Amino acid sequence: MKTLVLTGIGSVTPFGPLAGLIAAEYPQPSAITAWATPGLRRAFQVPQFRPADVVPGVKTRRLDRLSAWALVAASLALRDAGIDIGQIDRSRVAVLFATGFGCVELTEAFFQSAANNGWAGTDPITFPETLGNAPAAHVALFHQLRGPNLTIASKSFAAESALLQAASLLRHGQADMAIVLAGDTLTQAVYEWYETAHLLAPACFSPDPIASTDGFVPSEGVVAMVLENSGREPSRPYAALGAGRWASGGDVQAGVNELLGGCPPDFTFCSGNGAPCAYNSVTCSARAVVGKGAAIVPAQPVATGVGEAGALLHLLLALSKRPGPGQALMLGTSAHGGYAALRLEIF
Amino acid sequence: MVSPYGVGLSALEDGMMAGRCCLTPAADLYPGFRGTVAQAAALQPLAAGPHYSRTDRLAMLAARDAVGDLAGSSLLRKSGIVMASTVAGLSEIDPEIAKGPAEWYRHGGLARAASYSVSRVAASVAEHLEIQGPACAVSVACASGAMAIALAANMLLDDAAPMMLAGGSDALCPFTLSGFNSLQALDAEPCRPFDQNRKGLNIGEGAAALLLETLDHAMRRGAPILAVLRGWAMSNDASHPTAPHKDGAGLAACIGSALRMAACSVDEVGYVNAHGTGTPLNDIAETHAYENAFAQRQRPIPVSSTKSYFGHCLGAAGALEAAITILALRNGALFPTLRLSDPIASERVDWLHGELRREPLPVVMSVSAGFGGSNAALVFAEMRP
Repeated sequence: MKTLVLTGIGSVTPFGPLAGLIAAEYPQPSAITAWATPGLRRAFQVPQFRPADVVPGVKTRRLDRLSAWALVAASLALRDAGIDIGQIDRSRVAVLFATGFGCVELTEAFFQSAANNGWAGTDPITFPETLGNAPAAHVALFHQLRGPNLTIASKSFAAESALLQAASLLRHGQADMAIVLAGDTLTQAVYEWYETAHLLAPACFSPDPIASTDGFVPSEGVVAMVLENSGREPSRPYAALGAGRWASGGDVQAGVNELLGGCPPDFTFCSGNGAPCAYNSVTCSARAVVGKGAAIVPAQPVATGVGEAGALLHLLLALSKRPGPGQALMLGTSAHGGYAALRLEIF
Repeated sequence: MVSPYGVGLSALEDGMMAGRCCLTPAADLYPGFRGTVAQAAALQPLAAGPHYSRTDRLAMLAARDAVGDLAGSSLLRKSGIVMASTVAGLSEIDPEIAKGPAEWYRHGGLARAASYSVSRVAASVAEHLEIQGPACAVSVACASGAMAIALAANMLLDDAAPMMLAGGSDALCPFTLSGFNSLQALDAEPCRPFDQNRKGLNIGEGAAALLLETLDHAMRRGAPILAVLRGWAMSNDASHPTAPHKDGAGLAACIGSALRMAACSVDEVGYVNAHGTGTPLNDIAETHAYENAFAQRQRPIPVSSTKSYFGHCLGAAGALEAAITILALRNGALFPTLRLSDPIASERVDWLHGELRREPLPVVMSVSAGFGGSNAALVFAEMRP
């Protein structure tokens, strides 16, 4: 099996736009001001910034925030990987974007234009930017990346699925490098859906700290990672991606044990994106798989709140706070019985 | 398979072989809308349970049709799914949501909005068929359906599951009709792909699911083999957010990659089922792509667009057209483009029009492209004993 390595990271998250690992302390939820709320409503929100201040030349004025963040995160990841985009074969670079809701901000704007003007009076500039694949397409367009360009959604495991699909493209020689992105934005319609469905934690409505058992605090952001065949010089890989699997049902313990093949990981981190209230259930699953005494990093609320596309932020946080080099297992479980598991060697 | 011809591959085959056009005025379905659409057959109501979007239901119906007697088997339970969609649950949401989401949710919108995510299309099929393998959805605009098949094929090579159900599903809905109308991309009359006088596309709906497995696996279990997927490729133009590269360079590169994987020469390909939307920009770019990709061919490459039969089914199009391409292969049928009377001038393309042409077709190709510059090509070949 080819050795694939993660060589660059870029992110636009509640930590702000960053290249590489995250050194900052975990943020607290902040009060929502982007729309009128009936009292205090909190979430993990991406702080406002001008994309062109971070990535010179990038134009994002008419884009959904998800596309803008994808452009920034991908650019930061390439910068972090030390890649001179002009020196590589861009027809061999794939882009894979994982998302739960896609460009929901401009989708809401399109519905708004239909509500105001009728279906015959909708905005032609907005429509193409509502498409789910717009963020990945803008990344390809900005960096002139002509390899496979895919947008993937998977109930509970969009980010893990994108990572595994990217690995598959590289292993089958359909690309030499992939930028894997995962993320979502928080809008009024998304937040109020969670609230109406009674999925939110009490910490969304008060300044209290987050309790880990009841509901979740929505989050947003995009994380991008450069995945490539090992051997490019100079590169400074964060981790090597090993085998992985994901399933929409079945026996989690049996499936993960088969993946581990009798070689327990040095530590396990929980991606916990399967269900908004799953901080604990994924930890329980991890404990059942790797044993009580094993090192387990629980799912982090700021990443869990991103939902189906949260696993890359979980991975970024795990890499940032890792206890040391070694073999790692990234494990996510879903309230509906599915799981995703990936083996990594952390450098 | 769920198409405007009905449910099942044989309904699609009968409709295509008869050259029957299913396009009807949009105003019949959506009063106030101009244009022409094609609707799939009316869907039977579901028993009470989770809310499934029309796209989900089309997908579930197509998947059930594809698996046939395998439904409920342990083999199917271990299998995986890649379904494509662009519309997904958008069909269930109306503009009232913009005036106040919470209010709209409280008045019945909560369950409807739960079907919004594209991932729900694959998850619905998994629930319906009790599939427990990996399940994901692909949303790459109009190339989605073909890319779902390509990804599923990769997953089979990865041994991610013993079989993969791959396809696409999209329902007609005001959001997409309005969007394409705002871009002035719709032809008010039945579309005329590759015609000098083409004016735009028509929207259709449907779903297709193909059951993929390795040749060894299929032969071991004695499965009927409809065709062999010999090659696939995906690429991006990286040229414009909505328009294709004017020279079709990305698509030509994609076709070349698929042929290399299939180990096929350009002369072996007997028919290309084109993307052929009927929009001025797409069809000329696509023509250039064929001229470049098949430049070394001894005879012009036979090409048609079957979107002239029941419109552009968006995320389902690539999968439905893969099925039509397989029907072409099995029947030796070079389906003509309907209403093509004054084709784009090209010495290297043999535009199929008029009567259905019949000849042996050992290798055929289906080509898809979409907004965002994405391209996909699938090469199918007959099963040789």
